[in-house]
Amino acid sequence: MKTAVSRFALRHAPLLLFAAIIVTLGVLAPKFFTIANALNIAVQSAPVGLVAVGMTFVLITAGVDLAVGAVMFVGAAVAAKMIAAGQPIPLALSAMLGCGLTLGAVNAFFITRVRLAPFIVTLSLLFIGRGFALWLTQTRAMNLPEFFLQLGAVRWLGVPVPLLVLALVVALAHLVLTRTPFGRQLYAVGNHPENARRAGLPVRRLIFSVYLISGLCAALGGILALTQLGAVSPKSGENYEFKAIAAVVLGGTSLFGGRGAVWPGTLLGVLIIQMVESGLVMLNADPYLYPLVTAAVIFLAVLLDTARQPLLSK
Amino acid sequence: MTNALQFDGIEKSFGGVPVLRGVSFAVGAGRTLGLVGENGAGKSTLMNILGGNLTPDAGLMLLDGKPHAPSHPTDAARAGVAFIHQELNLFTNLTIAENLFLTAFPRTAGVLVDRRTTHERTAALLAQVGLSAAPDTPVAQLSPGERQLVEIARALSMDARLIIFDEPTTSLSTRETDALFALMDQLRARGVAMIYISHILEHVLRRCDDIVVLRDGAVAGSGAAEEFTTARLVSLMVGRELTQLYPSRNGAPTGETVLEARRVSQPGVVRDISFTLRRGEVLGISGLMGAGRSELARILFGLDPHTDGAILLNGEPLHRAAPRRRIARGLAFLTEDRRHEGLCMDASIADNVALVSLRQHAGRVPLRLLNLRRWRETIASIREAVRLSPQARDTQAVSTLSGGNQQKVVLAKWLLARPAALILDEPTRGVDVGAKYELYRLILGLADDGAGVLLISSEIEELTGLCDRILVMSRGAVRAEFSRAEFDREKLLEAALPREVAS
Amino acid sequence: MTAFLRRALLSDYFVLGLCVVYAAAVAPFTPGFLSSENLTNILTTLLPLLVVALGQTVVLIAGGIDLSATAVIGLASITGAMAMNDETGWLAHSPLAAPAGVALMLAVGAGVGACNGFAVARWRMPPFMVTLAAMMGFSGLAVWLTHSKNINALPAAFTMLGGRTAVAFAITLAVAVLAQLLLSRSLFGRWLYAVGHNPRAALISGVPVGGVVFSAYVVSGLLAALASVLYTGQAETGSPVLGQRILLDVIGATVIGGTSLFGGKGKVLWTVFGVLFLKLVDNSLNLLSLSVFTITMAKGAVILLAACLDSARARLGNP
Repeated sequence: MKTAVSRFALRHAPLLLFAAIIVTLGVLAPKFFTIANALNIAVQSAPVGLVAVGMTFVLITAGVDLAVGAVMFVGAAVAAKMIAAGQPIPLALSAMLGCGLTLGAVNAFFITRVRLAPFIVTLSLLFIGRGFALWLTQTRAMNLPEFFLQLGAVRWLGVPVPLLVLALVVALAHLVLTRTPFGRQLYAVGNHPENARRAGLPVRRLIFSVYLISGLCAALGGILALTQLGAVSPKSGENYEFKAIAAVVLGGTSLFGGRGAVWPGTLLGVLIIQMVESGLVMLNADPYLYPLVTAAVIFLAVLLDTARQPLLSK
Repeated sequence: MTNALQFDGIEKSFGGVPVLRGVSFAVGAGRTLGLVGENGAGKSTLMNILGGNLTPDAGLMLLDGKPHAPSHPTDAARAGVAFIHQELNLFTNLTIAENLFLTAFPRTAGVLVDRRTTHERTAALLAQVGLSAAPDTPVAQLSPGERQLVEIARALSMDARLIIFDEPTTSLSTRETDALFALMDQLRARGVAMIYISHILEHVLRRCDDIVVLRDGAVAGSGAAEEFTTARLVSLMVGRELTQLYPSRNGAPTGETVLEARRVSQPGVVRDISFTLRRGEVLGISGLMGAGRSELARILFGLDPHTDGAILLNGEPLHRAAPRRRIARGLAFLTEDRRHEGLCMDASIADNVALVSLRQHAGRVPLRLLNLRRWRETIASIREAVRLSPQARDTQAVSTLSGGNQQKVVLAKWLLARPAALILDEPTRGVDVGAKYELYRLILGLADDGAGVLLISSEIEELTGLCDRILVMSRGAVRAEFSRAEFDREKLLEAALPREVAS
Repeated sequence: MTAFLRRALLSDYFVLGLCVVYAAAVAPFTPGFLSSENLTNILTTLLPLLVVALGQTVVLIAGGIDLSATAVIGLASITGAMAMNDETGWLAHSPLAAPAGVALMLAVGAGVGACNGFAVARWRMPPFMVTLAAMMGFSGLAVWLTHSKNINALPAAFTMLGGRTAVAFAITLAVAVLAQLLLSRSLFGRWLYAVGHNPRAALISGVPVGGVVFSAYVVSGLLAALASVLYTGQAETGSPVLGQRILLDVIGATVIGGTSLFGGKGKVLWTVFGVLFLKLVDNSLNLLSLSVFTITMAKGAVILLAACLDSARARLGNP
């Protein structure tokens, strides 16, 4: 009996956690249950959400991308410098996406060609990228034109633009993962790379693409982050890699590969993380506690994932 | 009519040890060939060559009269060869339909999966193989028998002209076995050639058109199925000249029991195992793969749990003691897989040899520094005792050694621990003849010195040459016991073969 | 030729050779590089890094990794400072301030290490995620406890440990010798290598795998805390972000030295040379007035190169 309950709990952990947090926060801070607040949380979660969608692809193949924070920062820094130099905004935006793809490609190269472990490659690139961006901005904050903040506030059909972008990307990602051969092959690679090779799947090419996707999504997330802050600072993109990984793993995707979904999984995970953060703000908690809470959440997410391993048959 | 498949002088060696010595036979078009032989006779290697997992050292293959030399499993698949392995190659996190069409999904607009067509085609294939599961069932939810049917469906989806079945009925219920045979009849009617590998000789005799018996890497007998009887098959599988001599024993079992199992059971793995091992005795455990011998060894050593029964070492029950406690009390275990469980391949010979008995050389707390001089002396003396190749330096990585020398390192490691009881699981696998004799000498020496030896082996001859008694296991239980006087190779093999009536 | 190259690449002194080559290449362009003042400077900054890198070496040999080492440096720093400082410390002006403070710092390091070790050994969680979470959590804890403020007025008896080069050198040398003994001549050392090579085989051979892994993380935490003693002494202030910038250095130095990310391989000597190389690079780039960011980027690139080298050497070693 007890094992049946714990099996059920582990299998549906994302949904249960989601519900538990809503209830807890609602009890502790009644203001939590307003529509305005819900919308607020959704909009604020958009940047992490985008990064997490890309991260989901990577985790499904049993890899990891720790460089996403650098992608966001570099992209923002490049855009800020371009705009300050008089370049048109659309060009700057394209450059941001370009940064994402480039960094993703570099990661992918070292992982698939040189065969290094993903965590050491992306960890190195995290530092290289952040260093590069700090150099570009000379560690000073740089303001960006009003356009970005406006973009964040604009509503289209009543829905804030960032939320629309998130919804669109989630929908697209969900489609790719569940309805395209590419997506299904990713799951196969994560489940059993050796069998995948034997079955004739282009394993190297598949793994290469997920890091490109992750870079691109991180760049998009960077754009959305700019719509919230309107500026790039040395703190841009900080800790996003951890938040994204925690969100994805909380949402049911496994670090060990072969299992996971953006809908509802990652989305739930992202909302959980954002609710915890917003909840802390609402409860007037000491801002110094935030990284502690985030760390605890990550730890919990990984613990759950590890505990789930033997239960879900392989 | 050209043969569906022809083997011509296939040879293959691993690390200097010949596994296939000029195998030649043919599978007639649309016929089913039964391939039988003991473990280690070369069946898997031959099939791996056919399926593109290995390349032969010499010899040819002809598929439908055309040269067949796959360098990768996908080559073989494209040529129309489908291999239904014992360990299935399905992705458990995907559905049946996805597994079948993973590399060749029907598409809408070239990008998306055409779910309807995939569904329909999968349903059609499943109907052909008689599996009543829905196409979108996750494979993880299927029983082994159902998974096997999915594999066969995949073979059909790739228009296989030759299907190899490797021990297909081991995990099947009676009903599933019947379904499989009905399916094979259908396939035969469609002109598909098949190779059927099994230890259940009654099945082979009944369902196959022709039979080939492999022994020691060569064809020992072949012909139409009508020409064979179970008895003849057994004697062809087993009979060979005594090319190996076994060292003589200087001791004999004393009365004292060193290792005892009392009704040890683990559901699904072993059932009601009871035996006693005495000091100075070499007790063999015979049986086929899947009989539960290695699993029993792991349970005895404490690596895997058991729900019922008791294991006693020197009269004391072991309860749930961890392996290192059992080692401290005198138990040793030379595993089946020396690459992954017996040795640290990248570590030096010295480090590997010393690993179990390190504590004996360690000084006091806190640092527990090793007495390096004594350590080196001990290693040198055990190297000599096992006659490890003198050219190999202590600092060399064991991965550079031959199979025989590697096994000597593992054995040396356990000898240094001075065990009261030593469990050996396939100790001479992948070892050449010369090294085998050396290992036998060491094993018998250990028994002569008073240890109890539990010897698990798939080579019946090895068991009859070394053991005082032999237990035969099948499907997780002990089926028979033979004392030295009763040793008979054919009877031993027969006792190991599973009966047709599955549980 | 290739045989020579092969022997050179696999030699224990390969990285020392790299140091010499690098120094020779860079010296003509870098004024003051080879001055005695600069060399002393290099030595002083090298010592604490070596201590924490030795702890990392132990964990890497066991097949794990400890990303929280730098957070331990910060946490231990402020914990010790809170206890010892002359203004608000619990041990203020006590003659036992320095030794008790040091003991407290070491306890903090061991405690963090124990948490990591428990999660990895008992709960089987992946080391890089566990120590990543630990890094965030414990550095956040340090910042929270001090509200981002540094703590000054530390007793002289304490700051001399890190501040006086001779003392720091003695401490580091002692640690290095102990580590060398531990790794090459002790029972634990042999077990550590076995676990890193093949945990399954080690378990079957009677090695207490769980205990060994746990201890490796405790050692890493302890050494990080000891490095913190040196860093804090040098800086003469307890700072919650003391170790923040050196995660890259620690891992980079260990991997450049030749310790494998896959486990089973590593030596004290290698790490010494690896730390030396990294410090040479760091120092020379500083002297060339390159910005902190360029240096960070360069070090990131160095780690990547080190990982490539590690992979190449692994493949060379097992043809």
